[in-house]
Parts: sequence; C-alpha cells; structure tokens
Amino acid sequence: MTDNIVKIEKTISTLKNGTNKFYFFVQDTKGNPKASIKYIYDLANALKQNGKNSIILFEEKGYTSHKTWLGEGYEDLEENYVNGQNLQVGVEDFLIIPELLGYIIEQVQNLPCGKIIITQAYDHIFETLKPGQSWNGFGVYKCLTTSEVLAEKVRDIFRSVSVDVLPVPLSKYATEKDKPAKPIIAIHSREQRDSLNLIKTFYQKYPQYRWFTFRDMRSMNQDQFYEPLKDACVSVWIDEKSSFGTYPLESMASGTPVIGRIPYIEPEWINEKNGIWTTNNFDLVDILAEYIKNWLEDNVAETLIQEGLDTAKKYQNQDDFVSLSNQLFEEYVSNRVQSLEQQLDKLKPVEAEL
Amino acid sequence: MSTSNTTVILPIKSSKSKDFSDFFSKLVESIQKQKVLPTEFIIVPTAEESLQIFLTDYDFGDLQNIVKIETYEGEPSFQAQVNYGVSKATNEWVSFCEFDDEYSAIWFKNVEIHKQAYPDSQAFLPVVVDVDDKNQFAGFTNEATFAANFNLDYGIVTNELLARFQNFQSSGMVIKKETFLDYGGFKDSMKLTFVYEFLMRMTYNSAIIRTIPKIGYKHTNMRLGSIFWNYKFGESPLSPDEAKFWLEVAKKEYFFIQDREIKYEPELVDESIVSSNGN
Repeated sequence: MTDNIVKIEKTISTLKNGTNKFYFFVQDTKGNPKASIKYIYDLANALKQNGKNSIILFEEKGYTSHKTWLGEGYEDLEENYVNGQNLQVGVEDFLIIPELLGYIIEQVQNLPCGKIIITQAYDHIFETLKPGQSWNGFGVYKCLTTSEVLAEKVRDIFRSVSVDVLPVPLSKYATEKDKPAKPIIAIHSREQRDSLNLIKTFYQKYPQYRWFTFRDMRSMNQDQFYEPLKDACVSVWIDEKSSFGTYPLESMASGTPVIGRIPYIEPEWINEKNGIWTTNNFDLVDILAEYIKNWLEDNVAETLIQEGLDTAKKYQNQDDFVSLSNQLFEEYVSNRVQSLEQQLDKLKPVEAEL
Repeated sequence: MSTSNTTVILPIKSSKSKDFSDFFSKLVESIQKQKVLPTEFIIVPTAEESLQIFLTDYDFGDLQNIVKIETYEGEPSFQAQVNYGVSKATNEWVSFCEFDDEYSAIWFKNVEIHKQAYPDSQAFLPVVVDVDDKNQFAGFTNEATFAANFNLDYGIVTNELLARFQNFQSSGMVIKKETFLDYGGFKDSMKLTFVYEFLMRMTYNSAIIRTIPKIGYKHTNMRLGSIFWNYKFGESPLSPDEAKFWLEVAKKEYFFIQDREIKYEPELVDESIVSSNGN
C-alpha cells in the first residue's frame, strides 16, 4: 500500500474512533464578555461533554482566558494559542473559525483539515474578506449559524456553502425572577453611544423619572449579569446589526419585558406580543417613558411577560443544545469519512493496477 | 376578593373643610377599589358634631362591615389621632391616610407581594404622587429611596439617607402595628417635622422600611385648611426660624422614643443651632 492510502486509512480510523480534534478559534477580547464568544465556548463544551476533543484556540500567546467571565462549567475546556505558523493540525482535525476572524481562513487555506465558519452576525461576514473573495475560495464549504433567517442570507451569498443552524442556548442562570422588579432599566446596545444617547435624552425629556436607574449590561460577567437583569422592570435593546438577539431573549427568560429596536435582519423569534418593538431609535425614549408610567401603575399586560417567557423557553434547553451540537459535528465527521473513503476507493484500483 | 390583614386609619379633625364631602368620598372609593382589600377601616374623628353626623349618615357601601368609628376625645391633632387609631387596630399591619388623599387601587396588592418577597420588612412606603388642589401632577415623594447616586441601600429608607434628604411622606405607609407602638408612634408635640422625626427614629432603631416602587398613594398638596397649608398660610404661620427649629429638634429627638414635649421658644433658636454645630 502506498503511504497515501495508509495515511487516509489512519485518518478514517481516527475520525471513526473520535480521537480527532476540534479547534475553535476565538477572538481575544482581553477579558471583555461577548455573547458570540460564549456561544463558541458552549459549542466546544457540548462536544467535550460527549467525549470529543475540543480545544479553544487564541491567535497569540498573551491571551486572556474567557473563563474569567464565563462562570462555572467551562473548567475542563482546554485553551491554547497558535504559535506563529506552527499550527499542528492533522487531516482528521477540524478548524472552526468565527466570521470575524475571516482572515485566518486565508492563512489556513492549504491545511488539509476540515474547516467550518461560524457566522453569528451578517455584518461581519465580509469584514475581513477582500472584494471578490469568498469562503469556498479558501476551501471552506461548511457554515454554522444561529438562525434560519441568517442561514438564508448566507445561502444567498455563498451558494456552494452548506449552512447549518444551531440556535444560541441561553445560560442556565437565565431563569424567571422571583422578586418584584425595581425601578431599574437594563440597557444593552452594540455601540455604547447609543445607550448613552438614550439615557441622556430620557433624563432630559422626562426629569420626573430621574430616580430610575439605568444599568449598562454590556461587558458583564455571567455570574453578575442576571441579578440586575432580574431586578430590572424593563430591558432596552438597541442593536441594529444583531442577527440573533441573545440579550432580549435572556431578558425575556428573566421575566423582564423588552423594548427593542428591530435589527435590520429581524430575528425569527420576534413577534408583536413578546416585546415592544420599533424600527426607529428616536421612538425608544417615548416608548420607555410610556412603559414606565404604566409599570408604576401596574398596567403592563401580563401577556407581555408570559409571551416573553414562552419565547425564551425554546432556547433554554441546555440538553437539547448539547445533543444537537453533537449530532451536527458527528455529521461533519461522517461526511469527512465518506469523502475520504471515496478518495480511498479511487486510489485503491490504481494501486491494484500497479 | 383577596384581603390583607391591614387596618386603615383615618384621622379627621373637622368636616368643615372646603370640599370635605367630595374628598372623603374619593378616599373611601379608593379603598373600595383595592385589588386586595384591608379588613379594618378605623376612622378617628374628633367630637365635632357635624363630623359625627356626617359619618353616621355616610353610606360606606360594601365597606360598611369593616368601618369602625373611634372618636378621639382629646385635643385634636393628626399625630394623636393616628396613635389612638393604631391602639384600636386589631390587625398586624396598619396604614394611615388623610381624608383629602387617595390610595391607588394597586397599593395593598403590592404591599402583599412585597411582604412575601421581603419578610424582614417592618414598613412599606408608597411612591406618592403629589397633586395640587386642581389635581394636577406636582411631583413624586418617597422616590428618593431609589436615587442610586445618594442612597447606598437601594430601595430602603436608612438613617443616612434621611440625614441627607428630609422630604418623605408617611401617609399611605403600611407598618406593623407592633413596630409603630414599640417605637413610640408619632410625637404629638412635634410640629411640621413629625414624619421626618418618626422615620429617623425608626431607622435609628434598625427598623427596615422599604419603598415600593409603585404609585401607591395620591396626596393633595397644600389644600386650603390642611395642616401644612396652615403652617404656611394659616392664622399663625410658621416662621422660617421656627421651621428650622423643628428640623433641628427632629434631628435631636429621634434618639428618644418618648415624646419629650419640646416647645418652640424663639429666643433659643440661634443657641440651639449653634450647639448643634458643636461650637
């Protein structure tokens, strides 16, 4: 047998016995929490829990571990960094790269391993691609995303890339509040200036509500995040570029009604009953003041909270997420095995002739 | 209908105030509309004849069986009448109101929710909507409990908060009868700042008072003939010096549970303020 056949057979065997590795690239945010990074850790953790070798990979040595803000449950997950160009990846391994680190695809294009792109924000897809470049041009034919809406957009752009959907799981801490809400307004925006603009306008326009406190929910550790969210009487969400909307779902799961700006790509879970939605940032301040007036008088419809809880429930099942993640990655492995076996079939007759 | 083991106490000095009957009816209606109903309503009138007749003839509707009239025979005063009413209450909790004010329909329901959530509480204050005599919004009271920039203990009325901010309302408050009595109730001799002194005394003695962030009570400000109207526009209005005096007295007297019957003596004001500065 030629070396090639031996190598392929070995790779197939490694893939079949599950000893291959899944490398998940993540951005180093220097310890700043980001929902998109938590999703990748959750994914890696789900595979780890089922005995697979998942490894979190940073680009540089001096990285700050995300475990510092993720809270309990990620202790066993291995973190490592790429030392220059010496990424030791076998044919049997998989590289999972977030769209934001798209430039890595170019760097790893010649590696013979499996490559999967994770897309969580439409806005970031082309951020690191040059005009005319596409994922498949670098040998990437698999994409994993968080919603059907976003999957459709990706399919529309990269027609030869197969797209799978795995919704974001909400944290185990995202549970319904058990104490009455306080005059706290939780606010989350992609750009901090959007929050600040809203807060300043609100206090200026409605000075009678200056005793309501705004809590900026950006960049909070998981274990500190849910207490103020549950304390809040309302949650404001301003993120036009979001493609999934973890924050409003977490608010709904906490029993905190959401006032939100509908993103350009409307998340599939939004409906007219589960939140107060607008397409205009300027309306948010007046909607918030109106909401507060009603909240102070107990005039907020119970159905608003209940619909929110029902919507969030679909994303709260951790077991489902673990099982779906494993199912999906087992499918990736099986596809790879299939393709290697086809290569093997082509090589073997050639060898027989020799 | 859900009920609350709370007694509402209404002291009334006279029925001769302007629009008394209208105000009184609105207050009674506001109790009738409660989503969780108090189980006792004690009215503490003075012996004024017209007031007695008014109350005897008044149709309390479905509240009739919880209304009790407990006439106060002593020198009329808001504080003394409230204290008397509390002593007659048979429930674990009491709430005071004024005839020209109104409870919001959600108030006692929210008190019950907060009692469950915070069982260590001894008293609950509502966020009060202040209106002028034309029923126009004038502002909120008690909301300062939530002003995060100067209250470190969010939602709780503390001695430190009161030291910095004096404007709190006790009307609408729901308090444990036992706590009210143990801490000495309202001081009859304390003019103007009796609510402030009472809250200072409560918090000094570690009572836990929470403000419920819901509109629980509507207060009519400066109604013609009201106690505070009289302080400002009545026959013998309070001078700025006397107002300052009562504030200083409140800050000193809250250490004492008993009413030490302080009297305003103009010639002592400056001395009193000087000594409070420690000079």
